[in-house]
Amino acid sequence: MWKVLSGVFLGWSLGANDSANIFGTGYATGLVKYRTAIWLTAVFLMIGAVLEGPKCMEVVGDLSNLTAIDAFYCALAGAITMTALTIFAIPASCSQAIIGAVLGAGILSSTADFSKLYKIVACWVFTPICALFTAYLLHRILGFVINKTITSLTKRSLLYSAGILLTGCYGAYTLGANNVANVTGIYVGCGVLSADVAALIGGLSIALGVLTYSRKVMETVGKGIVPLDPFSALVAVLAEALSLHLFTQIGVPVSSSQAIVGAVVGVGLVGDVQTVSLKMLARIGVGWIMTPVSGGVLAYLFIRVMT
Amino acid sequence: MILEKIFSHGRKERQVTEDIERHIQLLCKACEIFKDALERNDRNLMYEVVGLEREADAVRRDVISHIYEGAFLPYIRPDLCKFVEIVDEVFDALKDTAFFSLDYELPEALRDESTRVALLNFRMCELLLISFEAMIRGEDLREKILGIRIYEKKIDDMKLILLKDAEQVPVVSFWEGKKLSDLLTGLTMVSDFIEDASDHLQIINVSTR
Repeated sequence: MWKVLSGVFLGWSLGANDSANIFGTGYATGLVKYRTAIWLTAVFLMIGAVLEGPKCMEVVGDLSNLTAIDAFYCALAGAITMTALTIFAIPASCSQAIIGAVLGAGILSSTADFSKLYKIVACWVFTPICALFTAYLLHRILGFVINKTITSLTKRSLLYSAGILLTGCYGAYTLGANNVANVTGIYVGCGVLSADVAALIGGLSIALGVLTYSRKVMETVGKGIVPLDPFSALVAVLAEALSLHLFTQIGVPVSSSQAIVGAVVGVGLVGDVQTVSLKMLARIGVGWIMTPVSGGVLAYLFIRVMT
Repeated sequence: MILEKIFSHGRKERQVTEDIERHIQLLCKACEIFKDALERNDRNLMYEVVGLEREADAVRRDVISHIYEGAFLPYIRPDLCKFVEIVDEVFDALKDTAFFSLDYELPEALRDESTRVALLNFRMCELLLISFEAMIRGEDLREKILGIRIYEKKIDDMKLILLKDAEQVPVVSFWEGKKLSDLLTGLTMVSDFIEDASDHLQIINVSTR
C-alpha cells in the first residue's frame, strides 16, 4: 500500500498548482475569501473525483503493463517533472507527465501500447483549442443575452458574484473528475487499487494539496488574470470547466492549465485584446514536448536504476 | 462574503446607490443655492453652500465605507470611489468659490454673465444625476454625457467673455485683482470637474458591459 504514496505526492502537487485555475480570479479580486475558495474547491473536487473520476482511469492504466513498484516510480517521476517544470514557469500538465512516465516504464518492459497514444495526444492538442472556441462562443452568446436582459448595475453585480461562485464549484468538480486519473489511475492498471478506491484516494490527495499549499499559486495566477473583466473571467473558468468535462466523458485526462490558457485567449479574441503573448504560447509548446519526455526519461531511469 | 452578497439581494448595493444619488442631489442643491446667492448678492445663502459641502463630506465618507464593506464587485469599487471623489472635488470648487464671493463682492457688470454660468453649472449637475440614475439602470449614457459636454463648452466660451468684461472693471490693488480672478476661475472650474465626473460614469458603464 505504501506504493500509493508517490501518487498521493503527485496529487498533492496537482492540487497545490491547479486549484488556482478555478478560484484564482475570485480570490485575487477579493470576491471570495481564500478559506472559502479552498474549501469549495476541495469539496467539489472530491465529489467530481468520486462520481466521475473512474471514467478516465482506464486510459492511464492500459498504456503499459506495470507492476506495483513500476507504478510507484512512474508517479514519483510525474511528480518530480511537474515540480521541476513549475519551477521553470513552464505550464506543466500532470496528465502529460504521467502518460510520459507510463510510456517510459512501458518501453523498458516492452509493454508500451502506442496505439492508444494518438487519442491521448489529440485530446492534449484539442484541450486549449476546445477551451478557446468554447470561451469565444460563450462570451458572444452569454454577453448578448445578459446585455439584453440584465441591464441594472446592481443585478449584474449579483449575477457575476453568483456566477463566479457557481462556475468555480463546477470547475472544481470537473478538475476532480478529469484529473484524479492522473494521480491514481496507474494503480488501477496494475491492480493495486480498484477504480473507486483510487478515485477516493486521488481526490483526497488533490484536496490536501488545495487545502495546504495553494495560496501562493492562487495569488500569482489570480493576479495574472485580474486584467480580465468579471464577465470574461467567469466565461474563461466556465469554458475551462466545460472542456474538462467533455474530455472526462471521452475518458482522457487533460491539462486544466492549458485549458484555462486557451479560454483566456478565446475571451481575448472577442474584444480583440491580446491576453496571451507569443512567448506564453511558446512556453506551452515547450511544455507539450518537455513534460511527457521528462516524465518518460525519469521513470525509465528510476525503474532501471532502482529495480 | 460572497454568499452574504447573493442572499442579501443587493442590499449593500442599493444603500450605496441611494447614498451616491443623495450626494449628487446635494450638489444640485448647492449649485442652485449658489446661483441664487450670486443673483441676489445674498451672503446668508452663500454660507448655506458651505454648510452643504460639509453635509456632502459626511455622505462621501459613508459611500466609500459602504463600498469597501462589500458593495458591488471588487472590480468596479475603485472606479465608483473615484467617481464619488470627483463629485467631492466639485463641492470643494463650489465651496472655494463661495468663500471668494463672500470675501469679494462681484462687480455688477459681471453679475448677469456669472449668474448664467452658475445656472449652467446647476443644469450640468442635474444632468449628472440623470446620467448616474441611467447608469445604475444600465441604460446608454452617450446622449446625456454629450449634453454635459455641450454645457461645458458653452461655459468655456462664456469664460472668455467674462474675462474680457473683467478687463474693464477698475481694480485698485493687486489683491482685489487676484480675488476677482480667483472668483471667476472658481466659477468656471466647477463645470470642468462635473465633466470629469460624467466621463468617469461612462468608464464605469462601459467596463461593466
